[in-house]
Amino acid sequence: MRKNAILGAVLGAMLATTAVQAADREIVIGYQAPLSGDRSQYGEMFRNAAQIKLEEFNASGKLAGAKVAITFEDSKDDPKEARNIAHKFLDNSKVVGVIGDFSSTVSMAAGEIYAAEKMPQLSQTASHPDFTKLSPWQFRNITTQAFEGPYNADWIIAAGMKTAAVIYIQNDWGISALDGFVSGFKAKGGKITATEAFNPGNRDFRSILTKVARQKPDVIYLAMFYEEGAAFAQQREQLGIKIPLYGTSSLYSPKLIELGRESVEGLHLATTFTPDNPDPAVQTFVKEYAARFKSEPGMFAAQAYDAVGIMLDAVAKAGPSVTRESLRDALAATSGYPGVTGATSFDPVTREPAKALAKMMVKDGRFQVVTGP
Amino acid sequence: MVFDVFFLQQVINGLSIGCVYALMAIGFTLIFGVLNVVNFAHGEVYTIGAFVGLMVITAMAPPLLAVVPLVLAVGAASGVGLERIAFRPFRRFTDEASQKSRAMREATLLSSLAVSIVTREIMMHIFGGDMQGIPSGYLLQQPVAIGPIMVASGSLVIFATSAVMLGALQFLLYRTQTGLGIRAVSNNQLGARYVGINTDRTIVTTFAVGSMLGATAGILVGLYDGAISPHMGFAPGVKAFVAMVMGGLSSIPGAVACALLLGVSESIATEFLSSGWKDLITYSLLVITLVFFPQGLFGHGRERA
Repeated sequence: MRKNAILGAVLGAMLATTAVQAADREIVIGYQAPLSGDRSQYGEMFRNAAQIKLEEFNASGKLAGAKVAITFEDSKDDPKEARNIAHKFLDNSKVVGVIGDFSSTVSMAAGEIYAAEKMPQLSQTASHPDFTKLSPWQFRNITTQAFEGPYNADWIIAAGMKTAAVIYIQNDWGISALDGFVSGFKAKGGKITATEAFNPGNRDFRSILTKVARQKPDVIYLAMFYEEGAAFAQQREQLGIKIPLYGTSSLYSPKLIELGRESVEGLHLATTFTPDNPDPAVQTFVKEYAARFKSEPGMFAAQAYDAVGIMLDAVAKAGPSVTRESLRDALAATSGYPGVTGATSFDPVTREPAKALAKMMVKDGRFQVVTGP
Repeated sequence: MVFDVFFLQQVINGLSIGCVYALMAIGFTLIFGVLNVVNFAHGEVYTIGAFVGLMVITAMAPPLLAVVPLVLAVGAASGVGLERIAFRPFRRFTDEASQKSRAMREATLLSSLAVSIVTREIMMHIFGGDMQGIPSGYLLQQPVAIGPIMVASGSLVIFATSAVMLGALQFLLYRTQTGLGIRAVSNNQLGARYVGINTDRTIVTTFAVGSMLGATAGILVGLYDGAISPHMGFAPGVKAFVAMVMGGLSSIPGAVACALLLGVSESIATEFLSSGWKDLITYSLLVITLVFFPQGLFGHGRERA
C-alpha cells in the first residue's frame, strides 16, 4: 500500500512536470561574444545588458506558454572558436536564434555556417558591409556610415546649409564615411566644395583648414575620431575660422570635450545612444545597468540590449512554437522596434537597419540633445 | 591657386609646423654629431619631457616658467641614463678597429631603438594609449592676429625657443671649452682621447644637453597641441630625422633650415594635393636631396668610417 502511494506520488509528480513543460516550453537563444581575452570588456557589457533585457522580457508575459533562456558562449574574438560555437548551437535543437559575434570578422566566420545551416543570426556590432550580404539569415542592429552619412546630410540641408567641405581620415572607415555623406548630400541638392583626407596620426590641420576656408563652405563635416576632432576644432578656433562643424558619431565621446574644451562648442553630431537621452526607456535602462553593474552603460551595452530586445520581440511574434525559419521571418519583419538606440527597422530586402538617431550638439561643455532641425 | 591672404596663411602654417620639426631636430643633430650614430630614443625623451611637464602641472599647478627648469632637469637625467644604457656599453673597446667598426655602430643604433620601444611601452602601460589633455590655463593656443594672418601664441613661443636654442648651441659649440671638446670628439674620437680630452664626459655632456633640448621641445609642443600621448614623439621624430639628413647630418643650422623647408613645403603642397599626400612631399625632397647633394644641403665632406 505504502509502495503504491509512493509510486502514485512519483507518477503524479511526473505528470505534473510534463504538464508544466507542455505549458512552458523552453526556447533558447544562443549568444556568442568574447568573454575572455583582449576584447572581453565588450563581451562583459553584452552579457550584462542581455541579462537585464531577458529578465524584463520574461517578466513582461509577452510570450505566453514558453520561457526564453539565453546561453552564452565565449568566442574569444577568434574566428575558429566562433565556428565551433556555431556548430554547437546548431546541434542544440532548443536554440532557435543566435546573437553575436562582436567583430565583423568573427561574426562573418560564424555567419557562413549559420547561412549554410539556416540559423537566424543578429549581430549587435558587426558593421562590415558584407556581413548582411552573406545570406538572408544575417541581421544587424548597428547602423553603418552608409546610413549615417545621408542622415547627417539631411540634417544639414534641413538646417539651411547648402555647401559642405568633408575632412576624413584616410582608412577604410573614413572612405566609407566620406562616400556615405557625399552621396547623401549631393542627392539632396547640396554642393561639396572640397574633400580632404589626412593620414592617421596627423595632428596638424592648419593647412587643411586654411585651404578649406578659402571656398567658404556653409559647414565642415568631420569623419574622424575624437583625438583628431579635438585638435581640428582647436586649430579652427586659433585660425579664427567660424564655419560650423558637423561630424560622425565616432566623435561622440566625453574625451572630445575634455580635450577640445570651448573649441568644440556648437559641434553637431547624431548618435544612436546617449545616456543623457531623456526618453524614459533609455533612463530605465541606464539606471538599472548602473545599479547592477556600477558603471554607466555605453554605446556597446546599449547595442546589445537592443539586439536582445529585437530578437525576443521576434520570438514573441513567432509564438511559443517558434522555429528557426519562423524566427527569421519575424526578425525580417522588425519595424520601428522602440529601443534605447533609437527606433530600429530592418529593410525587408537588404536587412540593413534604419534608425532614428539622436541629434546632439556640444553646448555649455557637454553633449545635449537637439530638438528640431 | 592664388597668391592671396590664404596662401600667406599657408606659409605661416608651414613655418609653425617647421618650427616644431626644428625644435626636435636641434637636439637630434647635436647627439648625432658627436657619435655619428642615430639616437632613435630622442622621440621618447621628447615624450618624457611632455609627460613630466603635464604631471608637474597637474600636481602642483606652478607658473609655466617654473615647469621649464624641471623639464630641463628631467631631460638631462634621461639623456645621461640613455647614454649609460644604450650607448656606453658599446664603447668598451677603444682601439681604432672597434671605433671604426660598422657592426659596433649598427649595434648602438639598434640598442637606442630598443630603449625607445621599451620606454614607449612602459609609458603606454602607465599612462594608457589615450590622448591626455593639458589643463587649459597652460595651453599655448591663444590666437594672435598679425594683420589678416592668424598665428597661435604657441607658434611664436616655439619659434622663439628654436631661435634661442640654436643661438645658445652655436655659442656653446664655438665659444666654450666644452664645445671645443664636443667638436673634437665629433671630428675624431680617438684623436680627441690622445690629446687628453675626457671623451666619455664629453659624450655624456652632449647627451645631457641634447636631451634637455628634446624634453623642452616635448612639453612646448604638448602645450601647443593641447594633448599628449606616448606616441607623440614618433611622427616629428621621423621629420626631424629627414631634416637632419637633408641638412648634412651634423650641421645644426642646416637641420633647422631644412626643417622649416619641410614644414613650408608640406603646407603649400596641401594647396595643390590632398593633404593625405603630404608625407610624399617630405620623402621626395629627401630623395631629391640625396641624389643631387649626397652630402646634404649644408654638409661638407667628412671622413666616413
